[in-house]
Amino acid sequence: MAELAIEQKSPRSDTAFRVLVVDDDPDMTAFLAALLRRQGIEVGIAGDGNAALARVAEAPPDLMLLDVMMPGPTGFEVCKKLKSDRATALMPIVLVTALEDKESRVKGIEAGADDFLSKPVNPPELLARVQTLRRLHETRRELESRRQLAQLQRKEAIRKAFSRYISPRLADRIIQDVGVEGGPFNAGAQRSNIVVVFVELRGFADLIESRDAPEVVAMLNERFAALTEAAYHYDGTVLNMTGESMLVGFNVPFLQSDAASRALSTATEMLGRFGSAALRRGHDTDVGLSLSAGICMGEAVIGNVGSPHYLSYTAIGDPVDTAAQLARLAGANEVLVCGRVHEAVRGLLPAGTLAPRADATLQGRPGTVQVFAVRV
Amino acid sequence: MTKDSYTVTVPKDLADLIPTFMSNRKKELQTLRAALAALDLEQLRQLGHRMKGVGNSYGFEKVSLLGKQIEDGARSGDRSALEACIADYDDYLARVSVVYG
Repeated sequence: MAELAIEQKSPRSDTAFRVLVVDDDPDMTAFLAALLRRQGIEVGIAGDGNAALARVAEAPPDLMLLDVMMPGPTGFEVCKKLKSDRATALMPIVLVTALEDKESRVKGIEAGADDFLSKPVNPPELLARVQTLRRLHETRRELESRRQLAQLQRKEAIRKAFSRYISPRLADRIIQDVGVEGGPFNAGAQRSNIVVVFVELRGFADLIESRDAPEVVAMLNERFAALTEAAYHYDGTVLNMTGESMLVGFNVPFLQSDAASRALSTATEMLGRFGSAALRRGHDTDVGLSLSAGICMGEAVIGNVGSPHYLSYTAIGDPVDTAAQLARLAGANEVLVCGRVHEAVRGLLPAGTLAPRADATLQGRPGTVQVFAVRV
Repeated sequence: MTKDSYTVTVPKDLADLIPTFMSNRKKELQTLRAALAALDLEQLRQLGHRMKGVGNSYGFEKVSLLGKQIEDGARSGDRSALEACIADYDDYLARVSVVYG
């Protein structure tokens, strides 16, 4: 009788409620399909358990009416399989069975069936059960779309918040990382090899004495904006910003195999942008402002540091301290790098880009460190 | 064996399905006979189970009743009961008429 299994195709719509009828008796599937289609329900038909699983994999229906005694996998087995799969666990399944014993009902419940319908099928009972599950399904779908909207809004809020500190591209990666176990922003504090650029603005102390506060703040903001753009251009992360200094990290929070090159390019671009920012103000070009930077790499502790009321995602450790001291050693509009950064980039840059300077003695460090100046 | 005629009322919107349904019942009767001749009790049980489920879904109460009796007869291996049921089914299919309402 298999040749009698006729599936009437009806136009598919995204909003239609779709039911998959699974039964090896074509008279039964034809009967159930006719009742459901009369209600405007889109119906698919599968003649056994394997065909049902294939149909679900292709396009999961909104509800399944599932016969129990079929050749191949039984309805219990199909139900159990679908209910143990996260992708299909929420799909309502009604077991349609002529089995009358309580043991079969228990077996169905254990397999995860949402409801039972006895054969012979009573049409009003069938339609009542389907309508109930349809309403539940629609409520669930509504809740799911609200949940997705809320998640989108939450991600957008995170994007806006983080975009103040990191480049938009990194913000997108962090959003992807939200909820991922072991992701950089979900892990606790950790040790990482990073490259940092410590930038110091000089000359503002004198300006504060001679200029109005709004003017000083406007000048600072203009320059910090230019420096931040340079950092974002190379996907750096702003780890700290004080009144007259800025700390930018690379290889954090995500790996950057060319972190040292990025740091060097950032510092060079910062010098260029800092000059341009001054030029844009015209009459303020000669106000005695300058920039110096130090770059160092090494192991640092990365994490959210602060109190429960104020947290800052930042880095602490030797490379940060060394970069800060190099920035202080640097002359006006000069960038100094430590020996480790020189080692990492020397094969990648035109000869002479980094010029050796006299080894320096740093505060709190025994001996001296190698220092190189960037020739712009 | 009753000589009464049987009338089944089927909803109008299932009318299209009835010719196939009736044709399948006649094929089913042949399959039942063959299974009984071979004393294939498992097939008889499965056929009876199927009749029980589908018969009264369409409004053919007697098909479901006979299906249950065949399923039970196959389980207990009661050949004479099975023979009587199949003869009754043959008679029923010959006499049943359908009206649409």
